[in-house]
Amino acid sequence: MKFWGTRLGSIVLAVAGCYLLQTIFQGNPGMNRLVVLACLWVTLSVSLNLINGITGQFSIGHAGFWMTGAYISGVIMKFQPQLKSMPAMQLLLLMMLIAFIGTGIMGLLVGLPSLRLKGDYLAIVTLGFGEILRIVVNASEPIGGSYGLFVEPKVNSIFIAAMLAVITIAACRNLLQTAHGLEFLSVREDEVASQAMGVNNTTIKVVAFVIGAAFAGAAGAVFAHLEGFISPTSFPMAFSFIVLTMVVLGGTGSITGSVVAAIVLFAIPEYLRGMSVNGEPLRFTLAGFVAFAIAGIGALALAKYTQDRVHDSKGKLIRYIGAVVGAIVVTGVFAAIFRNIPALGGKEIGVDQIRYVIFSLVLIAVMLLRPQGVFGHHEFGWHWFKSKKSQETVA
Amino acid sequence: MALVQEQEIAGDGCVSETILELKEATIKFGGLTAVNKVSFVLNRGDLFGLIGPNGAGKTTCFNLITGVYRPTSGDIEFKGKVINGFAPNKIATLGICRTFQNIRLFGALSARENVMVGANLRSKTVMPSSFWLLPPVIRETDEMRAKAEHLLEVVGLKEDMSTRSADLSYGEQRRLEIARAMATDPELILLDEPAAGMNPLEKETLQKVVRRIRDEFSMTVLLIEHDMRFVMGLCERIVVLDHGEEIAQGPPESIRSNPKVIEAYLGEAATH
Ligand SMILES: Nc1ncnc2c1ncn2[C@@H]1O[C@H](COP(=O)(O)OP(=O)(O)O)[C@@H](O)[C@H]1O
Ligand SMILES: [Mg+2]
Repeated sequence: MKFWGTRLGSIVLAVAGCYLLQTIFQGNPGMNRLVVLACLWVTLSVSLNLINGITGQFSIGHAGFWMTGAYISGVIMKFQPQLKSMPAMQLLLLMMLIAFIGTGIMGLLVGLPSLRLKGDYLAIVTLGFGEILRIVVNASEPIGGSYGLFVEPKVNSIFIAAMLAVITIAACRNLLQTAHGLEFLSVREDEVASQAMGVNNTTIKVVAFVIGAAFAGAAGAVFAHLEGFISPTSFPMAFSFIVLTMVVLGGTGSITGSVVAAIVLFAIPEYLRGMSVNGEPLRFTLAGFVAFAIAGIGALALAKYTQDRVHDSKGKLIRYIGAVVGAIVVTGVFAAIFRNIPALGGKEIGVDQIRYVIFSLVLIAVMLLRPQGVFGHHEFGWHWFKSKKSQETVA
Repeated sequence: MALVQEQEIAGDGCVSETILELKEATIKFGGLTAVNKVSFVLNRGDLFGLIGPNGAGKTTCFNLITGVYRPTSGDIEFKGKVINGFAPNKIATLGICRTFQNIRLFGALSARENVMVGANLRSKTVMPSSFWLLPPVIRETDEMRAKAEHLLEVVGLKEDMSTRSADLSYGEQRRLEIARAMATDPELILLDEPAAGMNPLEKETLQKVVRRIRDEFSMTVLLIEHDMRFVMGLCERIVVLDHGEEIAQGPPESIRSNPKVIEAYLGEAATH
């Protein structure tokens, strides 16, 4: 049967791919951790995309579910130390399963009341959920409180993290291959119409929310065992916004977009952190940074103007190149000038802070130039290599 | 009484089965009574018109029947069962589906996908099985796709199956809404101003489509339309509403000559 052939083929391909990833990066401890983290971010952004992008429910508390999963696994290990005698891989898989189910239930508790209401209640509730969870954990001494919690044993497996990402992607993609997946999209597009077509909007929203939360929880368990230590500060609210940025940037609803955006946005700050000049880690002065921000905004304005008002392709190209070159030149010139201003010249800022400003600039750029996100509603598939005719969600 | 006889003759002599009955259905929005004690009976296989000037309460009637609003008083019965205040998705499952006067398509989805959402109502597989892409789900999705394509052909959208529904023309969007509603296999289909914004040629084609819905797909049709000629040439029985009240009921000939109806429509013409 053709079906089982393709099915078996893709499973073998996925497992082999994850195994390959593991063999390539296993030797390098630094890279190893980064690759695991990248897989977790992919899992987070794809699972949030199911809620925000595919089903259209604006949830902004995904770090809360990540934290739930991490703490479920941390607390179990603290109170059931005999589990440590299990082989590490099996233990991790068990913890992921428990975190998956537990966080799914948490998602149900958070989602059921708020998803029944229309409008922005979900955004408010999910935002609040993440914060309340942090405060509650902070105050709970038995599970480490604000100090944190050691999670033993430390398990570090690219293979498992990558498989988690692949399974999350596959679940979402499979869903969208069927008519049932269209129910989720129809809820996003028009709730009145979907209900008139017999779709139970609340059920669909809750299912999306619970599954999205559950995958984030499983990622949390992997994270807890990767780091070996978790505390409320490991899951700042900013993480929720970063995941959201990934989804929006990639194109709400596009799984491909969520994956690519997660990898790129995770890699940029890591790359900047690793950059060095003559063996010295790169330092960013506030002067350079302000100059960069000004030039970036100027370039964006020019690009937006070009997109809206210039219609010949040659003129467009020249202006786009001009915007990029101009931005670089302006950054250099302004940085040289600002260096002499005492308030800006001496100060240095860290890569972590730069990350947020770069994110904001990229986000503004996408919102201005391509509001539907980089990939819009499109998905990567074999049709990319064939004729570009079919752009439908359902194959 | 003459009316009942006509019905019986149309239905091969046997007594027609009541499919929908409004019993003094009333809804008030604050001080405004949008629909006031409206009663009418639809028999299976009817091609029924609901007309009246702007703001008469026609769309509100549809909203009552499809569960968007619960009647303040009175009853709505579908196949002998009171369905007041059922959720709209429950009512769709029971077998009533509708189109919207202000078009409500799933804009980012293609025409085909829009219709498949409707078809999915009769899905026999459970949703979790789609996460695993189990063979029955794939087979069913293929069947739904074929069904959608057939229905799109019926409404004349064969060429536009893969077009994003938001990119279709106004008339095409109206026809797509009809196909989407038909895909839910309703026993009763409600069309809210299906011909609005169409040119005479399109209207003529639409009349044929509506007749096909009744004759070939054996659905009972209740349609709201503003264009008198369209309704008169299509419907076998008509209810006229004005200011939320039922002012006339009967076959097109009797409606056309009814002084109350003429007055209501003249009144509208005068205010325009
Ligand atoms: N949800 C609502 N709230 C308040 N008034 C409404 C509502 N829905 C409809 N109406 C009022 O009911 C009356 C009938 O409207 P409608 O049924 O849309 O008329 P039409 O016959 O043109 O379709 C109008 O006066 C309208 O303003
Ligand atoms: Mg109306």
